[in-house]
Amino acid sequence: MVTNRIDDWLSVMWQSLTSTGGLLLELVGVGPDVDPHTKVTFRAIGDAVMPETPGLAGELGPEHVSGGLAVDLDAFTVTYVDDGFQLGLPHLGPQGNIPIADPIAHLLDSAALTLVERGDNERDPDVDRALSLLGPDDPSPRAVEDVVGPFAKLSRRDRLRAIAIVDEFDVEFTPTDDDLFELDAGLVGQLVIGFMEMIYYSEWQGYDEFTQPPSRRSHPNDRSAVQSWRQTGFPGFADGYAALRGYVGTTDSPLGGGDTWATVDEAADVRIVRESGGFRENDYETSDYREPFPVESG
Amino acid sequence: MVEDSYDAIVVGAGGDGPVAAWKLAEAGLSVLVLEAGPFYGNEQWPRPNEDPGGEASSSAEDLSGDLLDEQFTTREFEMITKLVFGPADHERGFWFRKFPGDGAILQCAGVGGTTLHYTGCHPRAYPAAIDEQGHWPIEYADLIPYYQEVEEMCDVAPAPVTAKEELFFRGAADAGWELIEDLNVTEPGYRPQPNAITQPDERLHVDAGYDGDFTYPDVEGDTLALGNIAGNPHPRGAPYEEKAKKASNVSFVPPALRTGNVTIRPNAFVTDVVTVTPRGDTPTVAGVQFRDTWSGSVQQVDSEVVVLAAGAIETPRLWLNADLPANEWVGRGLTIHFGDNVMGLWDPDDLDEAIGSDVIDQHEGQDIAARFDYPGVGMLQTVGTAPGIGAILGFGASASGFAFQNDTPGEPWDTIGRLAGTELKRLLSDYRRMLQILVVSDDRPHQRNGVTVAPGVADEHGPIPIVNYEPSEGDRQRRDELARIAADILREAGASHVHRSDSPPTALHVHSTMRMGKVVDEACEAYDVDRLFVADHSVLANGVGGANPTNTGQALAARTGERIVERHF
Ligand SMILES: Cc1cc2nc3c(=O)[nH]c(=O)nc-3n(C[C@H](O)[C@H](O)[C@H](O)COP(=O)(O)OP(=O)(O)OC[C@H]3O[C@@H](n4cnc5c(N)ncnc54)[C@H](O)[C@@H]3O)c2cc1C
Repeated sequence: MVTNRIDDWLSVMWQSLTSTGGLLLELVGVGPDVDPHTKVTFRAIGDAVMPETPGLAGELGPEHVSGGLAVDLDAFTVTYVDDGFQLGLPHLGPQGNIPIADPIAHLLDSAALTLVERGDNERDPDVDRALSLLGPDDPSPRAVEDVVGPFAKLSRRDRLRAIAIVDEFDVEFTPTDDDLFELDAGLVGQLVIGFMEMIYYSEWQGYDEFTQPPSRRSHPNDRSAVQSWRQTGFPGFADGYAALRGYVGTTDSPLGGGDTWATVDEAADVRIVRESGGFRENDYETSDYREPFPVESG
Repeated sequence: MVEDSYDAIVVGAGGDGPVAAWKLAEAGLSVLVLEAGPFYGNEQWPRPNEDPGGEASSSAEDLSGDLLDEQFTTREFEMITKLVFGPADHERGFWFRKFPGDGAILQCAGVGGTTLHYTGCHPRAYPAAIDEQGHWPIEYADLIPYYQEVEEMCDVAPAPVTAKEELFFRGAADAGWELIEDLNVTEPGYRPQPNAITQPDERLHVDAGYDGDFTYPDVEGDTLALGNIAGNPHPRGAPYEEKAKKASNVSFVPPALRTGNVTIRPNAFVTDVVTVTPRGDTPTVAGVQFRDTWSGSVQQVDSEVVVLAAGAIETPRLWLNADLPANEWVGRGLTIHFGDNVMGLWDPDDLDEAIGSDVIDQHEGQDIAARFDYPGVGMLQTVGTAPGIGAILGFGASASGFAFQNDTPGEPWDTIGRLAGTELKRLLSDYRRMLQILVVSDDRPHQRNGVTVAPGVADEHGPIPIVNYEPSEGDRQRRDELARIAADILREAGASHVHRSDSPPTALHVHSTMRMGKVVDEACEAYDVDRLFVADHSVLANGVGGANPTNTGQALAARTGERIVERHF
């Protein structure tokens, strides 16, 4: 296990702490934008996790081409991870939330350097690759060229490999002299892979504005409003379905009875039947119980 | 209004706390329930995530099905964000806990606790896990009357069959397993889930040609629209207590309030347990201190008895932060049913042959309605999810790295590992033709696994829980065996592609950190603090064999409620 105490990260953490005092202002579009390095890095994450896939058009249909960047998944993920966890300590920003997008971006750079140092990258890092991911509303490539970190320069697969390396890290940082905050870096993979996938495939894209208070959010619940629903075929949320096939039963079983809808197991007489019964309050005997696998004490 | 003193204080209104509160109140005691999260579906808090609202609720008249309909939108991402363990205020993030690796703990805050997420599966423990594994000081037979009482309160009945359950049952039967019809399970086999979800209206049968609304009073009971993990307010339009899913806020909170003896105070995070030591020996409980999560103000309430029901992570955290007497088993022996996911994908023709339809449509029916039991090893259950939760549970995490980094020759699965990128998009394009099986293993309590706190790593409620979990070799073998059985069942059911996640330890079921026989006695009273009881899943002496734990946690909480009255009132 590589223990990685990243001084770099600490100072960035500090910067972000002082700059995210105005997190709420940022959310309403006032105040400083997301750090350009963080922005480029999260675009690179979004592009690796939920890429644009022209190759799937022929195989699955044109609706399967667009990826996460087309719906600004990267920008929302930054907001989400920055707002997502809190220690309730007032000096950590207005809501006590711990902004972690910047440190995650720097951690991924360390992982990228480790990948390249080990020679485990498949392709050479290339700054143009990162710059090509910038969207129309982003600063010009020339403006961000200098802040592109090692992670964003990797190929898609190599970016995923770098994320896998993060799992080996243990990171600590000290937001103030008193608070030691230790983060198992596994959380990083969880956030940038697991959460990003969940957000993408959920209803998220359909909101007018997710950062609104819950009672003021609206969602059309319409497949056409959510790119990922068009890709999975999920029809949106429903009040119900007339999908009942019945209950499991056999001729003598207490579980269910009535007309047979389908036979599950001819030999054992297991069927799907129309009416439900109940489970049996059976006598039981456990004295012949044997452990199928080894049991360690303690 | 919260008074200065009560007969009993229950800390936490989760799966089990309301059961103990109900029993105590039925016996005539005055009970205060302090809950860290919000109270959904209650007229005192019309906007529970936006405004502090009222102070406390003492009447079933406050409960509102309409508010629950409004607040439980069933939209998966929004609801997960809303329910996961954190303060009511939507502008603030989750309460942080440290968990090893890229696993996670999934628990909720709010009246109902983690049963707000739960899928209603209410099987009993495996008898052998109680009577033969050597962890429990009481017998399985002691629990049976309490199981019966809980099952009655929660409408527990065989779960309905829709396409995904039929597919699973066919696979299990073809793989040579037998149907189980019993409540007390001693042999391996498959059966419908005993679910705490009121059965659907029979007019929802596929052959009945129903084309009406799926709202109350047109239909009663479950509406087969999935959504339990996201809260499940169905049938929409129903009064609070007529909601189909019997999470503890629907099953036990209303009768508890109806006794007239219970006050529930949400947004109240208990940070200290107050004790006195008059004779200089064993401390006796005197009350608790709690902090209002909106205002930050702190209040102390006195009581004759305190019942900790904050769940298997927060109960030991509170004990440790309250500086109660050291006991080498406080926080120790954590079991989480060390789990995994095995996913099957089908070709349309094969599906049609098996279930008469070329799609499974996992979003129809109940989330988890079919199971496979294997006493001594654990269980399997089918899982239907909306695509977001499916993505994170099935593909978002793995202890084996990415699928593209792994070969699988000779394995029963075609791919193993985390999926992202093109592979993920290709797989999820078949969302309507996939079926996920959740592997839930009978992991055993080990002292190294559990909850500690470290000074300095603190939030506004004190040092945060630091969780350690490392399965043993036997735990891994049980899980691998179940994953193989799952793959076999999926193949027998005709799956053309099987994917295994090899999930990192992820805690959906969390128990045995304040075990009966180690930290608490047979009545669940602490050995080291008089009149301090525990009534949540932390007192389970082991993982109940791998069966879903809530029926056992609630049965035990009912029993503990009775014991408290016998002993002290
Ligand atoms: C997605 C999912 C699906 C599940 N499905 C099932 C299922 O089908 N069947 C099953 O048996 N189990 C299921 N479970 C597990 C089940 O929900 C839990 O085992 C059960 O809720 C645990 O009950 P508990 O009382 O121990 O804790 P919890 O239900 O977690 O309740 C603890 C309560 O205490 C509150 N609290 C915590 N700390 C404090 C404090 N200091 N002061 C005041 N209040 C506090 C919390 O906010 C919470 O409300 C599922 C879990 C998940 C995550």
